Amino acid sequence: MLTAATAKALTMMGIALPTMFAVILIFMLATKLLHKAFPAESEELEGDDD
Amino acid sequence: MEAMLIQYPWLDELLMGFLGLSWKHVVMWLIGATLIYLAVKKDYEPALLLPIGFGAVLANIPHSSAISKVVGEEGFLWVLYQGGIANELFPVLIFVAIGAMCDFTPLIRRPIVMLFAAAAQFGIFATAVLATLMGFSFEHAASIGIIGAADGPTTIYVASRFAQDLLGPLSVAAYSYMSLVPVIQPPVIKALTTSAERKIKMGYENEEPVSRTAKFLFPILIVLIAGMVAPISVALIGSLMFGNILKESGVVDNLSNAAQSELANLVTLLLGITIGGTMSAERFLTVEVAMIMALGAVAFVFDTAGGVLFAKLLNIFSKEKMNPMIGACGISAFPMSGRVIAKMALKEDPTNFIIQHAIGVNVAGQVASVVAGGLVLALIPALAK
Repeated sequence: MLTAATAKALTMMGIALPTMFAVILIFMLATKLLHKAFPAESEELEGDDD
Repeated sequence: MEAMLIQYPWLDELLMGFLGLSWKHVVMWLIGATLIYLAVKKDYEPALLLPIGFGAVLANIPHSSAISKVVGEEGFLWVLYQGGIANELFPVLIFVAIGAMCDFTPLIRRPIVMLFAAAAQFGIFATAVLATLMGFSFEHAASIGIIGAADGPTTIYVASRFAQDLLGPLSVAAYSYMSLVPVIQPPVIKALTTSAERKIKMGYENEEPVSRTAKFLFPILIVLIAGMVAPISVALIGSLMFGNILKESGVVDNLSNAAQSELANLVTLLLGITIGGTMSAERFLTVEVAMIMALGAVAFVFDTAGGVLFAKLLNIFSKEKMNPMIGACGISAFPMSGRVIAKMALKEDPTNFIIQHAIGVNVAGQVASVVAGGLVLALIPALAK
């Protein structure tokens, strides 16, 4: 039988993991947009270590 | 002996160290010595394990003035604890330093790697569940799970709020296992992947270079998003990104350099010895601590498995196959994990260079571990009610 602590830990996992992926997806989209909005210009590339 | 002490009261003052000594103190000296040995001889996280080991020795000398809590005679380790750990200052300052050291370029170039980092945080939650099954309270179990973030400052930050009495063992477990990444990760990865999978090559086509403007705006963007989702994480993610913007702005090189060197060194030194100071025998020599050390290893195994299995899952749906080993770099042990995985790929095939991808996932792990820490910080008080 599940203890109250285990039930809370499972609830935490159930909430946190999907939230985590949702936040990361937002990060991904925002980063993609940022990368597209501010492309590297040719003069930046010279001597750039990217 | 008692008669002698009554007759010569000054003897008590001179001999109090010997009279108060117990086998537990000696065991703690040995543990401190082991940490120092690992730091000096084995080069395992020496910047932390050396001060922690020495702090543990200082804290376990009977009637040690270093940890005195007597008003007006407070020991320096107790003062440092109150001033830097109990109020979460040291972990936050360490994050400024880490941020100044981080280069998020590979992450901006290939944002999909953030998914691996999210998957690799699975260990936090699985370990928390396991810890409750072993009898820990929810708050303590969640704090133990955070070892799986592979992120020492986040572990200390969460523990200082919800498991102050376990701060010493939690920190030691987190840093010990971070230094054992080369030992823990390879067997888990090998057990979960085939040789053919480990040989998958990853190209660098369609990856555009990253502009300085994008690198400068990235930390602001991340802080705003993470802060809106979990305001409680702002101190952690905010300090990490503050350090990064110092670096990427390009106008305060002196501050960025100071954060990367002087600040990092000073706070690491103070953090380590203060953590060691919390490792008193009565707190450390318990069955609970032995269980925490075991759960720390489990957390790293779950993290590695979570990342690798998620990468394998993505490969089922994606046209361009990825080397599933890079999923294991989603833990925050940077850059150790990235290097270990890159080496494994080279061992399988000397022409397989996946270091850039591995490091990209590893940097994403830094961000994801802080997000996971923020979520745990937000959820513990909400669920503990």
